[in-house]
Amino acid sequence: MLLSLLLAAEDMGPNPIAPENKELLWGAGSFLVFLFVMRVFLVPKVKKGMDARYGDIRSGHESAQATRVAAQNDVHAYEEAVAKVRAEAAARIDAARQTLDAERQAKVDEVNSRIAARRADADRELAAARAAARGEVATAVGNVTARATQLVLGKSPDASLVKRAVDATMNGGRS
Amino acid sequence: MEALATIARIAAEAGDAGLDAAALKANSAAASAGQAYGLAAIGPGIGIGIIFGKAIESMARQPEAAGMVRTTMFLGVAFTEALALIGFVVFILLKYA
Amino acid sequence: MKFSVLAFEFPPINVLLRWQDVLPTINKVVIVSILASLIGMGLFLAAARKDPKKAPKGARNLAEILIEFIEKQIVMQTLGPTGLGWTPFLLTIFIFVYLCNVPGIIPLIQMPATARMGVPAFLALMVWVVYNATGIKHQGPIGYFKSTLFPPGVPKALYVLVTPIEFISSIVVRPFSLAVRLFANMLAGHLLLVIFALLSEALFQARDKILIPVGILPFAMLLFLTVFEVLVGFLQAYIFTILTAVYINMASHAEH
Repeated sequence: MLLSLLLAAEDMGPNPIAPENKELLWGAGSFLVFLFVMRVFLVPKVKKGMDARYGDIRSGHESAQATRVAAQNDVHAYEEAVAKVRAEAAARIDAARQTLDAERQAKVDEVNSRIAARRADADRELAAARAAARGEVATAVGNVTARATQLVLGKSPDASLVKRAVDATMNGGRS
Repeated sequence: MEALATIARIAAEAGDAGLDAAALKANSAAASAGQAYGLAAIGPGIGIGIIFGKAIESMARQPEAAGMVRTTMFLGVAFTEALALIGFVVFILLKYA
Repeated sequence: MKFSVLAFEFPPINVLLRWQDVLPTINKVVIVSILASLIGMGLFLAAARKDPKKAPKGARNLAEILIEFIEKQIVMQTLGPTGLGWTPFLLTIFIFVYLCNVPGIIPLIQMPATARMGVPAFLALMVWVVYNATGIKHQGPIGYFKSTLFPPGVPKALYVLVTPIEFISSIVVRPFSLAVRLFANMLAGHLLLVIFALLSEALFQARDKILIPVGILPFAMLLFLTVFEVLVGFLQAYIFTILTAVYINMASHAEH
């Protein structure tokens, strides 16, 4: 029976262009069944699946976009916080530096004033010592002068005159 | 073909060959069939050439419109080709009817 | 009765096209068209049973490619987004016509069901009914025939000439050319394959040994034509579908 599939009908038959009823009807039947099944069941089902998957993909895309935006916002907030902390640290460092500078300045001033006081003391002592020495020298010179004058003149000179002469000589000698 | 048919007719009239009237008719039908298809192929051949040429031209000029041009081109080819195919069907009708 | 050209015997055309009945009223052409329908259904049944959430593979992938091809290349190009409801109809026509064309080149079957007038005639008739019904539904019976037979913008006197032309072109010629285009393309392809196959066979078995190598030429042509028929089978299915869409579009919108 299957062999007859390979065998052509030998008769001359109708015109080769005319449609044959059995072929037309069987073709119509199989096409209409196919169309019915596709139209009512299969295509809507496949299409629904496609639409669902595309919707999934689209919503996945959108959520990924939202996540990316949120992450970018987080990064911005973090960067702002870092900038703020950094500025605060800089301010504190500046304040500390200023305090330190002020303290150092105060100490330096104190030390300087102490040095100045000591120098003044020393100067004063030096001046006193010089004055004392000068007084001693003047006394000694007066004594020597008075003695020399007594020896020369045989009488002791007036003390105030001697002193005046000595002072004039010492001051004149210095200047 | 026509020359053959003419020779066959002459031969049949002379009564030389064993050609009968039916074979004569078949011969002249075959000749007209060949002519029918040959004539039917001229116009559509030129037409399809023009359609493809113009389509290629417009696709080269505007590649972004290629999809639309291709669709329209196939439509034009289908309409033009129908004429040649009708000639082919007439060929078979003449030969086997 | 055989036709012979230079001792090359060509069988009569009905021997190439008509087939014995396997069962009553069922011959090879009928079996091909039934198989086309069954294979199409089987493909989409397999596709519909798969999980739609996963990435499509195999049958489902093919089915989705077909649906997208019909939607993007045919419906959107002709009917526009409002015509997406026609997708199942056009998809069925495309798959059925393609699966009826393709057996023409499958070895051992080698008979396109569309090379007989039955299937194309039915399809064209159905398309004719569908697009006329669409026109009547969208424009009303009077409006549809008015816009088809009496196109607006034509001088009144010319209707004597225009109306018969429009009637013939849109009512008679459209389904006729739709059917004949598909049928004649497939028949011509089938006959070409037969001619070159028979010619190669005759030359390979020639008594004159010189002729045997010459048989390579028609055999190469046969191979080339087989590849060409793959293209033609697809193209004819595509053209049949897109013309259906164009006719439906013309009917559902008033012209001009």
